[in-house]
Amino acid sequence: VEQQRREFSEFYAAAKDDCLRIVLVSVGDRHLAEDLVAEAFTRAWMSWPKMRNHPVPRAWVVRTALNVHVSWWRRRRRELPVETIASSPATWQPDSVNDALASAIRALPARQREVIVLRVFFDLDTEATAALLGISTGTVGVHLHRALGTLRTQIPSFLDQEVAR
Amino acid sequence: MNDDEMLSTMRSSLTGIAESLTDVHLEQPVSTIHARARDHRLRRGLAGLAGVATAGLALSLGLALAAGGSSGASRAKAPGSIRTASFTLVSHHNGTATLTINTCSTASPPGMCMSNLDVLLDTTALQNDLQQDGIPALVTSGNFCSSDPAPAGFWQVVGGITDPKNIPKGQAVAFPPTITFNPAAIPAGTELSIGVLPPSSGRQVVAFGLIDANSHTCTSTTADQVAAVAPWSIDWGVGQGAP
Repeated sequence: VEQQRREFSEFYAAAKDDCLRIVLVSVGDRHLAEDLVAEAFTRAWMSWPKMRNHPVPRAWVVRTALNVHVSWWRRRRRELPVETIASSPATWQPDSVNDALASAIRALPARQREVIVLRVFFDLDTEATAALLGISTGTVGVHLHRALGTLRTQIPSFLDQEVAR
Repeated sequence: MNDDEMLSTMRSSLTGIAESLTDVHLEQPVSTIHARARDHRLRRGLAGLAGVATAGLALSLGLALAAGGSSGASRAKAPGSIRTASFTLVSHHNGTATLTINTCSTASPPGMCMSNLDVLLDTTALQNDLQQDGIPALVTSGNFCSSDPAPAGFWQVVGGITDPKNIPKGQAVAFPPTITFNPAAIPAGTELSIGVLPPSSGRQVVAFGLIDANSHTCTSTTADQVAAVAPWSIDWGVGQGAP
């Protein structure tokens, strides 16, 4: 047990900031991102005997955080009036040319966003993404294709700029 | 720009954003994570107890939790699980613990079950882990320890066998079935005896009994001899598919 505690502490220290930054880019709210990542690490610790052998534990944490976000958002949507949500403060906006890209990713449906985050941030291939999400490789392909289609439509200026570089 | 090129472009941009957030740190110490996990387990346990009470299913496994005169060898312990290559031990809020010996683990070659468990199972680890769950036990390999006469109460201590037929279709079948120990029912001065015996006649055997902690003998026992010395044992074929 002590060894597992030590292993997890090392993993936590090494991965927490990276995971937080990725989740922050994905949800756009610093406080929310911190809560989500802390919750994901809590679940990782509770499953550590299994998690310690996971091939990409950081991806598992980020994916779990995004899943928690979906649950949180559904619950919050039921509990709060619309105007309260609309005026929610403390959203984070990157002040770079990539604003539109980050915003567009945050607006994607949950599963499409998960696929994008895993493919982009962790460079997972289709098989690894499918295994982590518990879906087929074909379904990963469909979500990816749809997500990229949406992003192409919503951020043509970003793509033009990147191509022009 | 095709999908791969677009992904590559996005990767460059988004990882750049994430890496630029150098002032963003998760400040919570790891102790906070541990505390959150304890809260989760507590809430889950309370919810589980409430569910069990509501359904009227409390301890229907035949374990005599309220058996009078038991030793109370158990102690309060937070639920949790210990998983090793050869066994999984899960402790529950109601004080019981379940043991699954991983006869056909994911580490086994396809179609093969674990053999030579007497070599592979870490008896010291299992004994210590049971002890942590409040279950005094003597776990041996190649030997089986018994007392004469054997203390009464074995069937109040061991039970809760999950019938493999009840496992939902599509779910991995665990064999042997999960064994539940009720430490509250262990009589004072006694302990469990668990013997992992060497394979014999293509069968791997794990024997269970109850012994006097201060008066017992451990003898080399084969799978063929186990019925004469142990009140209960489980066995499975080795070098073949799941039984």
